[in-house]
Amino acid sequence: MNSNIWLLTFADAISIATTLILASLGAIITERSGVINLGVEGMLLMGAVTGFVVADSTGNLWLALLIAVLVGVVLSSIHAALTVGLRANQIVSGLAMVIFGTGLSQFIGKPIEGDPLPVVIRPLELGWLSDLPFVGPVVFGHDLFTYLTWAAAGGASFYMHRTRPGLLLRATGDAPATVDAQGGSVARIRWVHTMVGGALMTFAGAWYMFARAAAWNQAATTNGIGWIALALVVFASWRPLRAIGGAVLFGFSLQVPFTLQALQIRTLPPTIVAMFPYLITLAVLVLLSTPRARRLLGAPKMLGQPFVRDER
Amino acid sequence: MIVLGRRIQMEQRMAVPKSAVVIVPVVSVIAALVVGGVFLALTGHPPVRTYLDLLDNGYTSFYGITDTLGLATPLICTGLAAAFAFRMNLYSIGQEGQMYLGMIGGAWAGIVLADSLPPLIAVPSVLLFGALAGAAWIAVPAFLRARLGTSEIVSTLLLNYVALNLVNYFIFGSQGFFRDPTTSFPQGRAVADSARLSPLSFFTEKSTNTYPTFFVAVLLAVMLFWFMRVSNYGYETAVYADSPNTARYAGMSSAWLQSSVLLVSGALAGVGGAMYVVGPAGKVDPGLLQVGLGYAGIVVAALARYNFLAVVLAAVLFAGLRTGGNALQVSNDPVPIAIAVVLQGAVLLFALGGELFRRNKVTLVRVQKATT
Amino acid sequence: MVTSASTQHDAGAALALAARAVTKRFPGVVANDQVNFDLARGEVHTLLGENGAGKSTLASVLCGLYRPEAGQVVRDGKEIRLNSPRDGLAHGIAMVHQHFRLVDRFTVAENVVLGHKSLSFVLATAEIEAKVAAITEEFGLPLDPRAVVGELSAGERQRVEIVKALYQGAEILLLDEPTALLAPPEVEKLFSTVRAMTHVGKSVVFVSHKLGEVVDISDRITVMRGGRVTGSVRRGEADVRRLAELMVGREINIVPRRAKSQVGDVLLSASQVHLERDGAAMLTDINLEVRGGEIVGVAGVAGNGQRDLAEVIAGLRTPQQGNVTVCGTPTAGHGARGARRAGLAYVPEDRLGTGLAPSMSIRDNLLLTRERNFLVDRKSALHEAETFIKQLEIKTPGPLTPTRKLSGGNAQKVLLARELFAVSGARVLVVCSPTRGLDVGAVETVHALLDEARDAGKAILLVSEDLDEVMTLADRVMVLYRGRITLEQSGLDTNVDRVGRAMAGIAT
Repeated sequence: MNSNIWLLTFADAISIATTLILASLGAIITERSGVINLGVEGMLLMGAVTGFVVADSTGNLWLALLIAVLVGVVLSSIHAALTVGLRANQIVSGLAMVIFGTGLSQFIGKPIEGDPLPVVIRPLELGWLSDLPFVGPVVFGHDLFTYLTWAAAGGASFYMHRTRPGLLLRATGDAPATVDAQGGSVARIRWVHTMVGGALMTFAGAWYMFARAAAWNQAATTNGIGWIALALVVFASWRPLRAIGGAVLFGFSLQVPFTLQALQIRTLPPTIVAMFPYLITLAVLVLLSTPRARRLLGAPKMLGQPFVRDER
Repeated sequence: MIVLGRRIQMEQRMAVPKSAVVIVPVVSVIAALVVGGVFLALTGHPPVRTYLDLLDNGYTSFYGITDTLGLATPLICTGLAAAFAFRMNLYSIGQEGQMYLGMIGGAWAGIVLADSLPPLIAVPSVLLFGALAGAAWIAVPAFLRARLGTSEIVSTLLLNYVALNLVNYFIFGSQGFFRDPTTSFPQGRAVADSARLSPLSFFTEKSTNTYPTFFVAVLLAVMLFWFMRVSNYGYETAVYADSPNTARYAGMSSAWLQSSVLLVSGALAGVGGAMYVVGPAGKVDPGLLQVGLGYAGIVVAALARYNFLAVVLAAVLFAGLRTGGNALQVSNDPVPIAIAVVLQGAVLLFALGGELFRRNKVTLVRVQKATT
Repeated sequence: MVTSASTQHDAGAALALAARAVTKRFPGVVANDQVNFDLARGEVHTLLGENGAGKSTLASVLCGLYRPEAGQVVRDGKEIRLNSPRDGLAHGIAMVHQHFRLVDRFTVAENVVLGHKSLSFVLATAEIEAKVAAITEEFGLPLDPRAVVGELSAGERQRVEIVKALYQGAEILLLDEPTALLAPPEVEKLFSTVRAMTHVGKSVVFVSHKLGEVVDISDRITVMRGGRVTGSVRRGEADVRRLAELMVGREINIVPRRAKSQVGDVLLSASQVHLERDGAAMLTDINLEVRGGEIVGVAGVAGNGQRDLAEVIAGLRTPQQGNVTVCGTPTAGHGARGARRAGLAYVPEDRLGTGLAPSMSIRDNLLLTRERNFLVDRKSALHEAETFIKQLEIKTPGPLTPTRKLSGGNAQKVLLARELFAVSGARVLVVCSPTRGLDVGAVETVHALLDEARDAGKAILLVSEDLDEVMTLADRVMVLYRGRITLEQSGLDTNVDRVGRAMAGIAT
């Protein structure tokens, strides 16, 4: 019986990993161009609330997801305008997006607080595949978007490492002067990828809303997942495929408190167990900070630095 | 970016016009108000009337001012904490958690030590222990940053969530030390009377939300400003903030500078939390958690462009927005408190943009055609 | 005699490339003033001049990096308009810059194809690597297409840049100061590559200030000074002396111009110093002595441990083994402050990024390396700043100007003033590449200050990648190669040959 619960926990971890993978993919794509967008948490919330509101008034899931994506594009454009166009401090701008996004989502969500979900995302019906032991719930028990997310991670990896625009993207984050000298537009590459990243971040929030949440309640939604996603980027060494494994790990740490509760393991009070995801993330970050690790798995060299071209 | 045949070109200004120092923050605020006004209008609230109510409740009525000053008290502390760190390009965003720990540490001192001590010593002890607790909470990220280069952004942030759960644990999750033994209702244990200060009444009969700690906070800002101006420590941090390589060349220890700055930042945020204990709360109070003063401190610091004296002004400004917003929430035509948060975020974004206009001259130039 | 290089080729064979009356201005300076220049097919044509003469600017105009205010660029007899380096490439013109534009993380092949216009959407990696290999074969540029560029040496990275240009189909290559980072034997290798290229009909423009080197390889040399062409000669027509005069505009003596000086006690010594970084040996068995009243010059190609040497001596790094003694006091392990207290001053190579705090004022920068108490004394620093500004004729709006607003020469004056005069009691000076990027006048001022300090009895350790500077100033010359001192000889011995070979690691 217990093993069954752990199995479900694992399946759950993979499910919640979807949000993490999407959000960190968005961050990876943005950061590979040299722009750091700390606003993930705010974007997640905005995606969630926007999705809810649109679904509430139209009843259409796809429209809700689409609008959420558009909101992400718009919000990240603000960040891009400030950091790429005006060369503002990227850290402060990102934090402003978090605050702005959090507040705005609260504002928008007030009227619908506590309302039940108008639509939900359900797992796919895969017939006998879902009934397989172990593999069933863990691999085949998920919804369409989770599978698409895995595909997206693969696609992102292919894009980055095996295509021409991907080469340019990676070059922009490491050596924008080189890209510029060859006639490439650093600004355009950064804008585009920041916007794409933003779209993924809000989509992550919207998906979470429809697939995992019960209702809109700003305080309870996400709860720091955005920041864990940022840590996940470091964990994945800015490589999309590695983000999947880390996301499952972190997803696991987020689920464990509930599992322990279900199993009536009361050795630790719930508030203490609730600290686990954050402490584990911190521990992982520390392990990845050793000089050796940093040399082998480095960040884009010019991450966070505004690009200034010399006089023509 | 080429728009309509013209390209935006930025040149660094050789000399910054003095007027810009004032113009930019003012324009930012106005621009943010405009944006907020749009949201208000879209949701069916008349913007001008709402803003006037906001102003009145935040700044001009008696209770408005005193509430504002009371809220500004810890906000000055978290603002100073953020400014102190951000100046050095150390992006600690853990003021929230450090504040909670300051509350816890201050309460501990207030319960354990203050009993036998006169107020003159008890109150400073509470503040001191709050500072120490805040510094202790940032110590691990500071160590990680100095030794391993771990990003302080994510590490301090994660600890915020841990601290939040810690406070919840102390009050809701256990029957331990910080719980009030006199009642089964989950609330914090009260500190000794000698560790409390009564609210200021400003020569009236009324009881307000402003405590003498407000002036302590202002004094703290002034002292910090002066100290960093004249001291060698201030000089060394300024050099390091400008160019870490130069600091190394001059024999300054980057580990010491980074760690000490972060610890001081943590201590400042901790004092803010302790001020709650000395002032309104008198105990560990999870109600503080709803207010989000830690993050607001970052906004305040950015708007003040990390100048300690300006932090005081910005803090009062923001506290007024919150207070006014609170009042609006329960008024006849309720407006969600979120509007205040939206305004904060918007002000910050405009301030960021404005900062660049201050430093650079932005012109639209015709795209150069090739010479004939 | 001033001739326009183009008059000899007007009619007849279409020139591969030409500049006609090109004028390029920057704020405050005319970098190119009505410059004429041309290049025949299969020719090696050198643009010779001092720093700031305008030769790099002209090359940048020719490849499309800069757009001139006036004048034309002519390719194969037809006028062309270049709006960007991409346009230049379209016309087969490519420039290899002094500072490489490479992505360290990428492989050689990835760097070569970055930005190539006809790259397929999905990268055909195997094909690309094969093509790169073919080019490296043909032109004698040994490289592994799969190697990660970040791990290559300076010479190899330059090869990547050249391969990049060739891959993109360049017929005309402009090489900007290509020998700056190369030891003499690597220079030979470069020259043979250049010959291989001209052999198949490509044309090369060499931009350089190294007179001695280019004389052999060039078919023609055009000299520039102050934005104008001052003369042009063919192979074999003019000698080094004459070319130097055209460069600098006055009679010069190439003989080192130091007077004899009195030499005192040993003020600086290093013995058996070993320095490691991340487990790799950076300096091995360094032994040296500098006496008061002498300048010891350490020559070497960039990247052989110069910075490590300077930093170990100055106390910024602690050696794993060995001692450093300043004025009799052991300083290894006592940090930069310990070295300064013992009487050492240090002028690093990187002026604004290391020696000075760029956003802080001249006044505040003067406080940087002195002993400071709990409170900083800005008043005396202000007084000092005003004195230096007057004495050394530092061009600045005032003592409160941020140092990043100063020109290279003026910033260097502030640095030297501080280290030579403000740090009281400093009897040892370590100075690195002090005249890098400075114009002729500033170079003279800096050399004069160093000579003065030497005559005043200070012990000076000069570490410079500019061999001419070392040969000119040093009383004794040493060579640093791969972290070891491999040669020591008297400064009066003008045999550059031995020094050059030691710099390249060839046993003498």
